[in-house]
Amino acid sequence: MPTWVGPVAVYMAQGFEATIVLALACSVASVVIGTILGVAMITELSLLRRAVRLYIELWRGLPLIVILFFVFFALPAVGLRLNALSAAGTGLSLWGSAVVADNVRGAIQSIPRSQFEGARALGLGWITTMRLVILPQAVRRLLPPTLNLLTSLIHGTSLAAQLGALELLESARRSIQRLVLDLGQPHSLPIFATVMIVFFAVCYPLILLSRRLERRLHV
Amino acid sequence: MDFGYRLDPGYIVEHLGELSLGLVWTVVLTSIGIVGGTLFGLIGGALRSHRVRTVSPLIAAGVEFIRTTPLFVQIFFLYFGLPDIGLKASGFVVASLALVIWGAAYNVENFRAAIEAVPKEYHEAARALGLRPISIFVLVTLPVTIRLAIPSVTNTSVETLKNSALMLAISFPELTDTAVNLVAVSFRVFEVFITVGVVYLLLTAGLTRAMREIEHRIAWTL
Repeated sequence: MPTWVGPVAVYMAQGFEATIVLALACSVASVVIGTILGVAMITELSLLRRAVRLYIELWRGLPLIVILFFVFFALPAVGLRLNALSAAGTGLSLWGSAVVADNVRGAIQSIPRSQFEGARALGLGWITTMRLVILPQAVRRLLPPTLNLLTSLIHGTSLAAQLGALELLESARRSIQRLVLDLGQPHSLPIFATVMIVFFAVCYPLILLSRRLERRLHV
Repeated sequence: MDFGYRLDPGYIVEHLGELSLGLVWTVVLTSIGIVGGTLFGLIGGALRSHRVRTVSPLIAAGVEFIRTTPLFVQIFFLYFGLPDIGLKASGFVVASLALVIWGAAYNVENFRAAIEAVPKEYHEAARALGLRPISIFVLVTLPVTIRLAIPSVTNTSVETLKNSALMLAISFPELTDTAVNLVAVSFRVFEVFITVGVVYLLLTAGLTRAMREIEHRIAWTL
């Protein structure tokens, strides 16, 4: 193996770690915020519903990279300092939470009306009905789309490179710049191919799992 | 509330020329991506669902790989990786190619699903009438497939539009690249991003409506 491979691999492993941490943080934020917003979509409060609908349409309708750059540039303009990684995380979470909110709304609305009526007949309050009757059933239907979102978020972390955040893709880019300086050769083909293979190795199991759960849902 | 930021709409008027040019490139890239992606997706989907030996599994594997890796990294691979082995192309060619490959990968699945959803009886009836396999596909399966596939192809087309923004990675001067460059120089972040955001939302809405119009025009006449 050529001598440049070792140091590059070590450096890119750090980038990979940042990618995973970023993806996990965004997934948690997206699921938590998205679930709250999704539940808000089925309340009787029409003003709240309209506000959430606007939030969903806005973040889902824009290219992800535009959201990331907007957060990256806009927050400092109003006096909030964020590093590139947190700016990317914020942007990805805005988008991810909008996707989750829409999925949660859809899943809750696919639960038969009689479940709500039955819970009410038993004297359960709105929150208890949600917590004990509706959400547990909705979660089963939500698993496949949430796994797909997780894949999209992992893919989305690569956009953070454009903000200069040191994740997997950026670590690859910096390695190439370094190799050009030190050896005069970029070796970009094997390095970018490795980045693709790493993303494939992480995301493919998630996609397969999502498909399996989806099939089981339809049986 | 005062955030110490004052909007200056005049800035957009001053830079309308650059932004319009960016919009033109976005529309051009998106059009190439949608037309190429749909065409190759249809061919790939047809081959995939007809279980052609060695070709179908190859298409299936390619589609899985494209869909499971980020488009953003694919763009870097095409633009910076391939020149290593002497395959160098301009930003425009790489941007178009990346969008066509990505769109085709998604459309292969869209069309395969649509082809498999065509009722078996259609196929059997056509065979009973003595049509050859190729005629069955062109005259019977294809018209139904296109109708069934339009909603999912619409989604892929809208994503293609949004994906064209990723070409700022290779400094291709489409709308987002233009916007980011303007903000980097002037810090007029809200003026520029509100404008660009509205343009993207309008383009998405327009594209969705156009596709729905097509869907209605060729709705079930069977």
